[in-house]
Amino acid sequence: MRAPSRKSREPKVDLSVRIGPMELRNPVLTASGTFGYGDEYAHVVPLPSLGGVITKTVTLEPRAGNPPQRIAETAGGMLNTIGLENVGLLRFRSEKLPRLRSLGAVIVASIGGETPGELERLLGALGGEPGIAGFEINFSCPNIARGGARYWAVPRRLERTLARLRPLTRGAILAKLSPDVTSVGDLAIACEQGGADAVTAVNTFVGMALDLARRSSKLSRATGGLSGPAIKPLALQRCCEAARAVRIPVIGSGGILSGLDALEFMAVGAAAVQVGTASFIRPRAALQVLEEMEAFLRERGVRRIDDWRGSAMPSGDAVDEDPGRKPGLRAVTIVRADRSPRNRRGVRSPAFSRGRESRRA
Amino acid sequence: MTVAVSAWRQVRGRVDQQADFGAGHRWLELRVTAELEPPDPGQFIQLLIPSHASGAFLPRPMSVASVRPLRDGLMLGFLYVPIGVGTHALAALPAGAEVEALGPLGRGFPLDRPGTPVLVAGGRGVAPLLFAAESLARLGRRFELLFGARDRAHLVGLDEARRRVAGRGRLHLSTDDGSAGIKGTVVEALDRLSPRPDHPMVIHACGPHAMLAAVARWAAERRVTAWVAMESVMACGTGVCRGCPLARSARGRAAFGSQPPSLLGNRDYAMCCTEGPVFDSRDLDWERIE
Ligand SMILES: Cc1cc2nc3c(=O)[nH]c(=O)nc-3n(C[C@H](O)[C@H](O)[C@H](O)COP(=O)(O)OP(=O)(O)OC[C@H]3O[C@@H](n4cnc5c(N)ncnc54)[C@H](O)[C@@H]3O)c2cc1C
Ligand SMILES: Cc1cc2nc3c(=O)[nH]c(=O)nc-3n(C[C@H](O)[C@H](O)[C@H](O)COP(=O)(O)O)c2cc1C
Ligand code: FES
Repeated sequence: MRAPSRKSREPKVDLSVRIGPMELRNPVLTASGTFGYGDEYAHVVPLPSLGGVITKTVTLEPRAGNPPQRIAETAGGMLNTIGLENVGLLRFRSEKLPRLRSLGAVIVASIGGETPGELERLLGALGGEPGIAGFEINFSCPNIARGGARYWAVPRRLERTLARLRPLTRGAILAKLSPDVTSVGDLAIACEQGGADAVTAVNTFVGMALDLARRSSKLSRATGGLSGPAIKPLALQRCCEAARAVRIPVIGSGGILSGLDALEFMAVGAAAVQVGTASFIRPRAALQVLEEMEAFLRERGVRRIDDWRGSAMPSGDAVDEDPGRKPGLRAVTIVRADRSPRNRRGVRSPAFSRGRESRRA
Repeated sequence: MTVAVSAWRQVRGRVDQQADFGAGHRWLELRVTAELEPPDPGQFIQLLIPSHASGAFLPRPMSVASVRPLRDGLMLGFLYVPIGVGTHALAALPAGAEVEALGPLGRGFPLDRPGTPVLVAGGRGVAPLLFAAESLARLGRRFELLFGARDRAHLVGLDEARRRVAGRGRLHLSTDDGSAGIKGTVVEALDRLSPRPDHPMVIHACGPHAMLAAVARWAAERRVTAWVAMESVMACGTGVCRGCPLARSARGRAAFGSQPPSLLGNRDYAMCCTEGPVFDSRDLDWERIE
C-alpha cells in the first residue's frame, strides 16, 4: 500500500518519460498479453497510476488460440503457446476500448498482423480512435504459424511496413521485437528508420519443454515463448543492444519482477519498462515495481528518472564490434548476417552517446 | 454479455497447521486476512508458495475444502496430494509460514438448482465436495454423497465426509477392491441410486478425468444434469493469460453463442479458471480434453 502522507513530505522523484508523442507519468507499463484488456485487474490496480496499459495483441479477426496445453512452468519462468487468442478488432473497439477509457488508463493498443496490409487495416481502423495514446506493433509473436517473429525479423520488411503505418496515426508507434534474431540492434535501426517512435525489447524467447513419459512437448506445439525471471539477463542484453543502436526510446521487457529489475533495464538505456509474467504471480506487480523504483531513486537522491537512464551503459564493447562499422560508434552487434548498405544508415555520428533520448522537446 | 465484477483479491495467509491425512494426502489450514471474500464450494484459490521455500514460480490452484470464519479473517482448509515441486514445497511449510492467497476464483457448484444434489467424489476430488456437503447441511438440504477410491485407505477424508453428511445426507462408498462400500466405481454406485422422476437429481462431481468422463456419459444417457469440477494447468487463474482452455462441445458452443464474455473464453474454448472450474458436463468436448 502507498502512504501518501509520508511521501508528500519527501522530495518527489520525477518519473515522467516521453515516448514519441506520449507523455507518461512514469515508465512502468504492463506487457501485452499479461494484463488482458486492462479491465481484468482494474479492481486491484488503479490503472491511471501506471505509465500505461498495453492491451492483449488484437488481430483483424478474432482468434480462438492454440489447443491445450498452452503453458508449462520451467525453472524461473514459463513457456506459453497461447497463439494470440483475442477478441478481434471489432469487439476490441466496441467493447474493450470504451471500458478501458472509462477506467482512465493511458492506453497502448497492441496490434498484430500476418502481413503489412493487415497491420495497415488495423491501424487504419484504430489510428484515429480517441483515447489511444499509442500502438505497439507485435512483430514478434513466436506462437503463430504465419506473421510471427520469424516473418518480421527482416530489417527491410520492418522498415517498409513501419513507413506505411506511420501516416495512419498521430499516436506513438512502438515496434516490439523478438530476441531470437541475429541482431536486435539491426532490427531496431530498421524500426527507427521506418518511423517508429520507440522499440520494445523484447518479446519471449523461443523454447521447449518435454514430457519424458510421453516423449513429446509439454505444450500442444513443439515450441513456446519463454518469459519470466529466467530470461532477464538475456533480455537485458538485447535491450542494451537496442538502446545503443538507436536514438529513439527503447522499452525494456523480459523477466522484470521488481523495481530493481526495472532499474537495471533503465540503467542500460531503456526509457521505460514493461511488467509481464510478474502480474500472473502478483496482479499488483506493476504497481510494486513502480513503488520500489521510486523508493530506490529517492533513497539515493536521484531526482529525475532521466538522470538514471543510461547511467550504466557499457562504454567498451564486451560483444563483437562489427568490423564493418567505423570505430567508435556505439551500435554493436553480436553476429552480423545482413551487411546490406541499408543497415549502415542506422550508424550515427559518434557524438551521440549514452542512450539519451533525443526526441525530447 | 455482462461479466460479474471480479471480487478476487490477493491477500496474506499463514499456515495455521498442516497434517498428514492418510495415503499421502495432506490437510492444510490457512489463516487468511479479511479482505478475501468467503469462497463458495467449487471455487479455488491460487496459493503462492514463498520463492525461498520452493522452486515453483507460478502460484498453484487448489480447491477450497472448508471455510471457517475467524474474527479477523477466514480459516481455509485444503486437501491435497504432494506430487511435484510446488505441492512438495507446500507440504514442507511449518505453521506460521506465509502463503499468499489469490481468490476466490472461478465459478463453483450451482448447489441451488432444484433437485436432490448428488455429490460424486473420486479420490482427492473429495476436497471441494466436503465443502459442498458442509454448505448443504448448513442450509438444511438433503443430499447424497458418493465417495469412491482405489481402496479403503484412499478414501481420504472419510471421517470428515461422515461428519458432514450426519443427519442430512447419505454416504455411499465404493472401492475398486471392495475393501469399503460396494466393490466397483462411483459410477456403479450411481447406478444403484434409482432416479426418482418426481424428484430429479443434480450431480456435482470432482475426481480424476476418467471418472468425470464416465459420470458425464452416465448423466447424458439418463438426461440428468451433471456439474463437473475440471482441472487445467494454470498461470494467472484470473482469465488474463489464456493458458487454461477446455474445448467446448457443439452444445457448449451453441449455449454460448458466438461471443461469450471474453473473460470466460471464446466460441471454441472455455477458460477453466473463469468459466469453470465447474462446468455442465454437456458443454465440454470430452473427446478433446485429456
Ligand atoms: C481448479 C483446480 C483445483 C485443484 N484442486 C486441488 C486440490 O484440492 N487438491 C490437490 O491435491 N490438487 C488440486 N489441484 C491440482 C494442483 O493444482 C496440482 O496438483 C499442482 O498444481 C501441482 O503442482 P506441483 O508443483 O506439485 O506439480 P508439478 O508437476 O511440478 O507442476 C508443474 C506444473 O504443472 C501444473 N500441474 C500439474 N498437475 C496439475 C493438475 N492436476 N492440475 C493443474 N495443474 C497441474 C502445475 O500447476 C505446474 O504449473 C487443482 C487444480 C486446479 C486447476
Ligand atoms: C501468456 C503470455 C501471453 C503473451 N501475449 C503477448 C501478446 O499477445 N502480444 C505481445 O506482444 N506479447 C505477448 N507476450 C509477451 C509479453 O508481453 C512479454 O514481452 C514477455 O512475456 C517478456 O516479459 P516478462 O518476462 O516480463 O513476461 C505474452 C507473454 C505471456 C507469458
Ligand atoms: S489460468 Fe490464466 S486464463 Fe486461466
